[in-house]
Amino acid sequence: MRIPLSRLHLLAITLLGLAISGAQAEIRETSVWWLPRNVNMFGHTIDFLFYVILILTGVTFIGVFSVLVYFLVKYRARPGVAALHSHGNNTLEVVWTTIPVFIFLGLAIYGNEQWTQMRLKTPPADALPVAVIGEQFGWNVRYPGPDGKLAKMEASKVNKDNPFGIDSSDPAGLDDFTTYGELVFPVNRPIRLYLGSKDVIHAFYVPEFRLYQDMVPGRIYDFVWLKAEATGKFQLACNQLCGQGHYKMFGKLTVSTVPEYEAWAKSKAPSPAVTAVVPPSPVAMNQK
Amino acid sequence: MTTATLAHPATHGAHEHSEPTGWKKYLWSLDHKIIGIQYLFTSLLFLFVGGGLALLLRWQLAYPSTQVMPNGDIGNPASLAFINPQFYNSLFTMHATVMVFLVVMPLLIGAFGNYLIPLKIGAGDMAFPLINELSYWVYVLSGGVLMCSFLVAGGAAAGGWTSYAPLSSVAAYNGTQMGQSLWCVGIFLNGLASIMGAFNYITTIVNMRAPGMSFFRMPLAVWSLFITAFLLLLAVPVLSAAAAMLFLDLNSGTNFFNPAHGGQPLLWQHLFWFFGHPEVYIMILPAMGMVSDILSIFSRKPIFGYKAMVFAMIAIGFLGFIVWGHHMFVSGMNLVLSAAFGVSTMVIAVPSAIKTFNWLGTLWGGSIRFTTAMLNALSFVLMFVVGGLSGIFMASTPVDIFVHHTYFIVAHIHYVLFGGSIFGIFAAIYTWYPKMFGRMMDETLGKVHFAFTFIFFNLCFFPMHNVGLGGMMRRIADPTAYEHLRSLQPINQFITLAAIGLGFSQIIFLWNFFRSLKYGAPAGNNPWQATTLEWMVASPPGHGNFAVTPTVYRGPYDYSVPGHKRDYIMQNEPDAPDAPLGAPRSTVSVG
Repeated sequence: MRIPLSRLHLLAITLLGLAISGAQAEIRETSVWWLPRNVNMFGHTIDFLFYVILILTGVTFIGVFSVLVYFLVKYRARPGVAALHSHGNNTLEVVWTTIPVFIFLGLAIYGNEQWTQMRLKTPPADALPVAVIGEQFGWNVRYPGPDGKLAKMEASKVNKDNPFGIDSSDPAGLDDFTTYGELVFPVNRPIRLYLGSKDVIHAFYVPEFRLYQDMVPGRIYDFVWLKAEATGKFQLACNQLCGQGHYKMFGKLTVSTVPEYEAWAKSKAPSPAVTAVVPPSPVAMNQK
Repeated sequence: MTTATLAHPATHGAHEHSEPTGWKKYLWSLDHKIIGIQYLFTSLLFLFVGGGLALLLRWQLAYPSTQVMPNGDIGNPASLAFINPQFYNSLFTMHATVMVFLVVMPLLIGAFGNYLIPLKIGAGDMAFPLINELSYWVYVLSGGVLMCSFLVAGGAAAGGWTSYAPLSSVAAYNGTQMGQSLWCVGIFLNGLASIMGAFNYITTIVNMRAPGMSFFRMPLAVWSLFITAFLLLLAVPVLSAAAAMLFLDLNSGTNFFNPAHGGQPLLWQHLFWFFGHPEVYIMILPAMGMVSDILSIFSRKPIFGYKAMVFAMIAIGFLGFIVWGHHMFVSGMNLVLSAAFGVSTMVIAVPSAIKTFNWLGTLWGGSIRFTTAMLNALSFVLMFVVGGLSGIFMASTPVDIFVHHTYFIVAHIHYVLFGGSIFGIFAAIYTWYPKMFGRMMDETLGKVHFAFTFIFFNLCFFPMHNVGLGGMMRRIADPTAYEHLRSLQPINQFITLAAIGLGFSQIIFLWNFFRSLKYGAPAGNNPWQATTLEWMVASPPGHGNFAVTPTVYRGPYDYSVPGHKRDYIMQNEPDAPDAPLGAPRSTVSVG
């Protein structure tokens, strides 16, 4: 019997999908005890601050631990040696109150400075806008077409059939295309994320991007932006408990070269309509 | 300065209630000591329930059985291996709920608060004995309701102990309408029990201190419970109200938290954490207070910086109410507000640092006795330092963007709540068990229990920092579903093995606890040669505590006073025994 071409197609796509998803994200072979590599521009600051705090807390811990052990050995009960009768020392109290105050305030001020850079600064104008709307248990993704503009999203219009909350007559959205659970970011280009949710709270989390953002339903977050500095394959994970299937609500995230990204975008057909993104079949979803 | 009132006859000479005997004593007694022991036994039972839930979920994380299940079959018990994702979600939800509301709070506040407050301030009982007993039974009821929720259709609540809406508030999203509703009922009842206890403690401490027991002669354990009671009174009603709103959303068609109908999901988070952050201090302050007393007893030294300790706890109490937003840095609430919460969060670390330095100061120059109680208290200090320091990573808003909701934070809370509170509770049990039951616990078994617990605790929880930094999310039923986590699986299995070791180590404690009830060496009034009032009466103290209301002549920490024969002078001793104690090293002026 002749197998119809479309069925062969389907088989080929499934096999290809299996092969691709098999090597979906980077598997860490080394340093499983430590941070994964960082590919996001903002990650450098986070990692730097992380190490500053690690050194501060590490030194403090070693100090406290050493003093504790020294005291325990030196002042263990011994016959004939009485304890000191001391109720304290006010100078010491002032000293060990003041020093932590300055350290902690310093950390808070420096941290806020960086927080402002990451969260309050407007993304560059040439940033590629990408909309990601979570749902139980997957990711609706919307990319702008050649015009570089996404359709205007309104949180109040988000519903079961209109995950992005758009108006289908919006001209900016006519050339947009959508994917389900698949993100491709061009390397070295700022990406501005528009995050939201159809149902419960989800969270956009990619450890290699040092990025976590809750997506509370009822609003669209427009302040998260990033810039990937290296290519690679990563996994987008939902990191806010969202129900029974939470543990496998992951997406594919690829950082590719600009030509690769453009080729990928060109291969996608525009989906201007309001209609919901059709998730792939459960079998495809569960390929590892 | 002394405000002992005559409102309550401290001696119970004229009993306003008669004391039941035999087993009835443990049902209907209004005696604060019996109620404290009731709380102790019930919450220890729940400790093993909560621990069992933890071991089940650890088993699933190490050896996940569900990764090949297609999406459509989730929730279909017939197609499942042992733990399905929904049951896994129930496991960690109920593990945390049980540990927070049925174990740590009732142990610290219900058991030790009840037992110690009247004895330590020289009162015959609590101000409202009937409400005290009612508080206990409402607590039992809340535990019963939460346990029953495992049996209802859909299973127990599975939205995390934080129950973030709208997952928790819309039945179609969570699939556990009954379980989540019972969770609300259980939390509401539990809150009622806490509130009843809290105003009882405050009234008792304000009105019923023995003559001479001024506020600044109260032991730090009493101070800590006093401050905790205020936190309970101000924070718990907010959670109760939120739980009631959640119940209505689930069952009565209201939409407080559902954005699809104009509700506000972040409202739940604000209400929950307005309770939730003071709650963190509710669960650690009493342990801090008791550990301070224990360090002083077994160092044979006054607590270092008594007033600094009191003011640090008061500061924690106040600041605890303005830091709740640090749980919501990444929720998308106003970004400038996040920055403000970041600053207040850093500031609240200061009083904790002060306390740590004062504990070290207490050990300095001491004559340290390494009893089991002392070992647990020392480990409290050390583990609390680890938990406190790891908290600084989350307090820094940019770093929180990376470590939020990873296993790093799971490690952090367990260093504070197990390494801190539970070690503090063990220290308190080993210290006051002789007073409660008139017999000593076995020291050798106690030290073996301590050693195993300390080692397995660290083997279990320290590597969680690493898997968290490695990018492992909390609350996922199967880490192997993610490529980037699969290489961490050997560490997860190691953690699980350590958790099993930690669980089984507690059998030694149980054996020691129950065996000593019958076979322990008789304790006598004051086995630890301590100074506070509970040690002047028999072990266990009789109904009414004190034959004659004691008069207090001195502070709670007169250890190793130079020129005295004994190295401790009890609070009710008017003048120190006169013969010299031996040659003290030196004395330092009182600050």
